[in-house]
Order: sequence, then C-alpha cells, then structure tokens
Amino acid sequence: MSAVVESTSVYLQDFRSRSVDEPAWLAERREAGIQAFEALGLPHRRMEAWRNLKLGLLGQEHFAAADALGAVPMALAPTAALVPEAWRLVFVDGHLSPGHAAVDALPKGVTVRPLREALAQDAELLETHLGRHAELDAHPFAALNSAFWADGALIDVAPGTVLDAPVVLVFLSSESSAHRASYPRVLVRAGESAEFRIAQIHAGPDNLPYFVAPVTEIVAEANSSVQLHHVQEEGDSAYHLGLVHADLARDARLHLHGFNDGGKVGRTDIYVNLAGEGADARLDGLYLVGDGQYADYHTWVRHQSGHCTSQQLFKGVLSGKAESVFDGLIHVHKGAQKTDSQQQNRNLLLSPRALTHSNPRLEIYADDVKCAHGSTVGELDRDALFYLRSRGVGENDARGLLTFAFANEMLQPIGIEALRDHVGQRLAAFMPGDATVKELL
Amino acid sequence: MAMLEIKDLHAAVEGEEILKGINLTINAGEVHAIMGPNGSGKSTLSKVLAGHEGYEVTGGQVLFEGRDLLELAPEERAREGVFLGFQYPVEIPGVANTYFLKAAVNAIRKHRGESEIDAMEFLKLIRDRMKMVKMDEALFKRPVNEGFSGGEKKRNEIFQMAVLEPKLAILDETDSGLDIDALRSVSEGVNALRDPERSFLLITHYQRLLNYIQPDFVHVLVKGQIVKSGGKELAQELEQSGYALFEENAA
Ligand SMILES: Nc1ncnc2c1ncn2[C@@H]1O[C@H](COP(=O)(O)OP(=O)(O)OP(=O)(O)O)[C@@H](O)[C@H]1O
Ligand SMILES: [Mg+2]
Repeated sequence: MSAVVESTSVYLQDFRSRSVDEPAWLAERREAGIQAFEALGLPHRRMEAWRNLKLGLLGQEHFAAADALGAVPMALAPTAALVPEAWRLVFVDGHLSPGHAAVDALPKGVTVRPLREALAQDAELLETHLGRHAELDAHPFAALNSAFWADGALIDVAPGTVLDAPVVLVFLSSESSAHRASYPRVLVRAGESAEFRIAQIHAGPDNLPYFVAPVTEIVAEANSSVQLHHVQEEGDSAYHLGLVHADLARDARLHLHGFNDGGKVGRTDIYVNLAGEGADARLDGLYLVGDGQYADYHTWVRHQSGHCTSQQLFKGVLSGKAESVFDGLIHVHKGAQKTDSQQQNRNLLLSPRALTHSNPRLEIYADDVKCAHGSTVGELDRDALFYLRSRGVGENDARGLLTFAFANEMLQPIGIEALRDHVGQRLAAFMPGDATVKELL
Repeated sequence: MAMLEIKDLHAAVEGEEILKGINLTINAGEVHAIMGPNGSGKSTLSKVLAGHEGYEVTGGQVLFEGRDLLELAPEERAREGVFLGFQYPVEIPGVANTYFLKAAVNAIRKHRGESEIDAMEFLKLIRDRMKMVKMDEALFKRPVNEGFSGGEKKRNEIFQMAVLEPKLAILDETDSGLDIDALRSVSEGVNALRDPERSFLLITHYQRLLNYIQPDFVHVLVKGQIVKSGGKELAQELEQSGYALFEENAA
C-alpha cells in the first residue's frame, strides 16, 4: 500500500521538475491533469471501475516518462509500415520519428500533423479542443497523459472533405523503454460532413515492462463520419491503459473498432457522447487474451439527445489463465426519446482456467426508448467439435476452426483492408490448430 | 475379413444403458439397413461407432477391418474411412463449407501419406461430387449448414460423403424429412457410390428409402438390441405389422 502512495508523489515530483516553455493555456491543462491524478491516485480494488485490474509492477515501481525518441525495434518494422496506402505518422517512446512520416500531398483543408508542430501552427484549434473533451476524473492514466504528453497527432479534416486513404498513427515502444512511460495524445476534428478512416496502432517488444497511456479525443461535427481502428498489440509484459473520447454532433457517425491482442494488462475506456440528434455510434471490439494476460474494455455511451442510435458488439477469446473485463454503460438522458441502443458482449473460453467478467450497465431516464443488451460466456460447442472431427479434422484444428468462426464476425467491420488482413493473421496465430488449417482461412 | 464386426456392444448415455448387446457383421460391399422405433438406440449406435465422447461404451467390442475401432479418436476413425451422416447435421456459423471440407480432405490425405490437394484439383472434385448429389453450388460457399433447409442439410451430408469417399458410410436417417425429389438425389448419390470395397449402414424409419436403395440385409433394433435380421422383405413385413410384435419379443 505504501508503494502506491509513494508512487503517486513520484509522478507529481516528475511533473514539478520538468522545465517547459509552453503557452499558459496548455500549462493550465497539464496542471489540471496532474491534479486529477493526485486526487485519484493509482487505481485500487475499492474503485468500482478498476476493481478487477491488478497493477502489478505498475503499482510498485516508478515509470518515468520517456524523454527521447527511441529506435523502431527490428521485429516491429512491419508494424510501422502497416497499411501501405496511407498518410502516416510514427512515434517511438512517445516521440515523433520524422523518418517514418508520410503526410505529403494531403488534400486541401486536411491537416495531419505532429501535435508539437500543431502547437505553433494550429494554436487556436488546440486551445479550443485539446483536453477539453476527455474526462479525467475516472481515469488516473488519462490524467497522467494530460500532464505528461510529449507528442502525438492532430487530424483535422475540413467540412465536406472525404479522404479516400486512411490516416495511420503508429505508436511503438523501443527496446530501451523498460520502466519508461509514454503518453501518446491524439486530437481528431471532423468538420461538417467530413468522412475519413483512422488507424491508431500500438505495439512494442516482448519481455519488457513498459507503460503506455494514450488518449484520443474526437470532435465529430454535424453529419461527419469517423472510423477509428484502435489496435493494441503491445509486448507481453507491457501495461497499456488508454482512453478514447468522442463527442458527436447531430447526425455524426462514429465507428470505433478495437482490437486487443497484446500487453500484460490492456485496458481501453471508450467514452461516446451522442450530443446531437440523429448521431450514431457503433463500437466493435475483439480481444484475444492469452495465458497470463488481462484485457479490459470499458465503454460509456451517453445518449444525450433524441433519435440517436448506438450498437456495441465486443467479443473475447480467452485461453490459458487469461482474464478479461467488458464493462459497458448505456446512459440515456432524460429527454433523449427515440433512443435505439444495443450492446452485446460474447466470450469464448478455450480453457477452464480463463476468467471473464461481463458487466452491462443500463441507466435510462427517458421513457420512449429501445435498449437491449446481452452477454454470453461459453466454451466451444461440443456437437460442432464432434461434427468436424467426424469428418477427419483433428481436434486442435477443429478447435481452431470454431474459434475462427466465433471471432471472424469481428474482422468483417474493419474498414481498412490491409488492417483486416493483419488482424486475421493475428487471430490465426492466436487460435489453436496447425499451420495448414490456418492457411485456409 | 469383415469390414465391421460389432460384438455384444453395450453403451450408456449419462449413466443409462441404451445399447444392450448389439451383434452385427458387415462385409465389404454390403448394404445393411437398421430400422427401429423412436428411442430404440439407432442414433446411439451411430454415435458410438463414430466416437462421440458423450456415449460411454460399457461392454463389447467393435472391429473395423480387424482393428479395434473404439480406441481411436473420432478424427482417426474418419481418416481410416468411417463416415457418419448425421441425423441432425450441425450448423457451424462462420466456417465456410469450402474451408471445412478442404481441411477434412487434407487431413485424410495426410493420414494416407499423400500430399495436400491443390486448389484446381479440389475444385474439380467438388464440382463433380456436387453434380452427383445435385447440390446447389451456392450452398458450398456458405457457412456449414447455416440456414440450410432440412433437405439441403441432408444433401450436404451425402455430398461430403461423396467427396471423402469412406469405406464405411453410416447414414443416420438421411432420408427422414425429405421430399421425393431430394430423396431421389440422395439415393442416387448413395447408389453411385456403391462399390465392392465400400459398405453402407443405413439407419431409417421409413421403408420408402429401401425402394430406392436395395439393402442386402435388414435388421430390427428394439430397446437397444437387434431382435430380428433378414433380407429386404423384412422391411415390407415391418411396414405392415409395425414394431409392436418385435417389442413384445424384446420385453
Ligand atoms: N445425449 C443424450 N442425452 C440423454 N439421453 C440420450 C442422449 N442421446 C440419446 N439418449 C437417449 O437414448 C435413447 C436412445 O436414443 P437414440 O437417439 O439413440 O434413439 P433413436 O433410435 O435414434 O431414435 P429416433 O428414431 O427418434 O432418432 C433415448 O431414450 C434417448 O432419450
Ligand atoms: Mg435417431
């Protein structure tokens, strides 16, 4: 317990000992971040929303912010280049890797820029939005991000602009990131009727305890459409605790697709405010959790106006001694009539030692609404396994085919083809069975 | 040597004995039909032969080509040439028929020490067998049995049998619930596959099937035992008298 108290003050000490020259508004927001963290402290079992998470090393040791650009680990060079046809920014240990950037020839009215640069060039936009959306009072690590972020990206798409290629943001950790923290920060603004896709990809080396706490804020103006693919493939000893916040104006559409296949501890909190009438949010997630891993999605979908729709579908596959949490809130404000909101969580346990928590939460203060939720936990269907085996398919391969069948549904909504293939390969690597069967898929 | 020898087979489901001493010998090239009332143990026998782990063998022996069949895993039995057509084929959403069948074909080829089937060869085989059972090609691209009608599911079973070319095909009520056209194409599929090296065990409720597939032997299964065996004429006898007579004998 004392280690927790000490580490809290360590982050404050880190904060006080920085020497920075930044605009006053930003200094204030960073200060608000560290204050929010001081008020919360590191999560513990008595914080309802953090009950199941075991901090382990993160609670015992000091993870200081990485202060320099690291090298892309050799094994992750392909990850840095994922989705070849894209505008791209790559960060290592929270700092921009200029050599990997590809943001030329952007259409008029479109900005894809490192946040550091944007501080000078898009000061007004940042002052208006950066840190004005994400809520820090329930997420200590988002609070730390607000205090410590070193760099990240601004994506700003002018009204009426449709991007035909996606924007890809890659955040890697280097081989020298042991006991280091990085705090990637992303701000997205979609102008009226703008339409585009983003992939936010996180990865790092195995066998290295590092910590990443990314925060993404999305401001979707009227009738805009934003697709965000949030990919978490951290190394097997890493802590990834992030937050995505989206504010949707009238008729705006958000499609967020999460893929969690890494980290010792991986959690993403997704906040969506359906603020304007007719807004629509679709949240999909697939988590593959192996032995000794912990995966966690928390969603907070708030219907604040009438005629909004939301659909959530999160699927998890757990093997070995894995643990997962899905905790999903649908909150319908008073007056948000004609809300149509759905939430589903399905879990497949490949091992009797795996543990999954599924916690749907409905808070409904309007009377003319349609809300449905459901959650399932199951093993592979015995009759289906027997059917496949009775045709000659080996037991492991049959388990693999059925695992694929369960998870495959979550690949289809990935709106970037190269990413869909990539996630398919990750799924194949995770599922039981031998290589020849996996090749079929 | 007989293809299949079942000797005094006893089996239980959830602790309750269902098969109470089955004896049956099937030689290569023979077609046997098993008929019996609801709940007499027909499907239980087929599941035990295919190796379903929910069915516990409590006594007796089954030899397939002289080898102990019961010690093999279900997939090993399939690779050795045993095929079970299910009474209720399982729907497997998310797995396309193509993937599944290719995996099955390759598993069997590997077992025989053959190389993997190449894409063209596979396609040719599939097309040919689909024609044989008059199966709609569109079904093949769909997930296994998902949303198939009863008749389509049964046709898919026969189609899979035709692709996998087993030595022993056990067809559990493949004729039930089929309209006459479907029954004809299913039967034509079976007849086309009849071969001196291949045996069939047809489980059926209805004498009608035997108008299309001529069995060499007919057996009557009542309360977990074969109470009578005979030729094709036994089926007609059953049609007229029903099972009541045999049930009395079994009691
Ligand atoms: N999985 C199971 N769990 C419990 N009981 C079972 C199971 N399978 C079969 N039984 C029981 O075993 C007995 C024989 O069933 P079986 O399905 O073998 O009969 P059948 O002859 O195939 O009948 P039908 O003509 O209806 O297909 C029945 O009493 C049935 O209730
Ligand atoms: Mg039956």
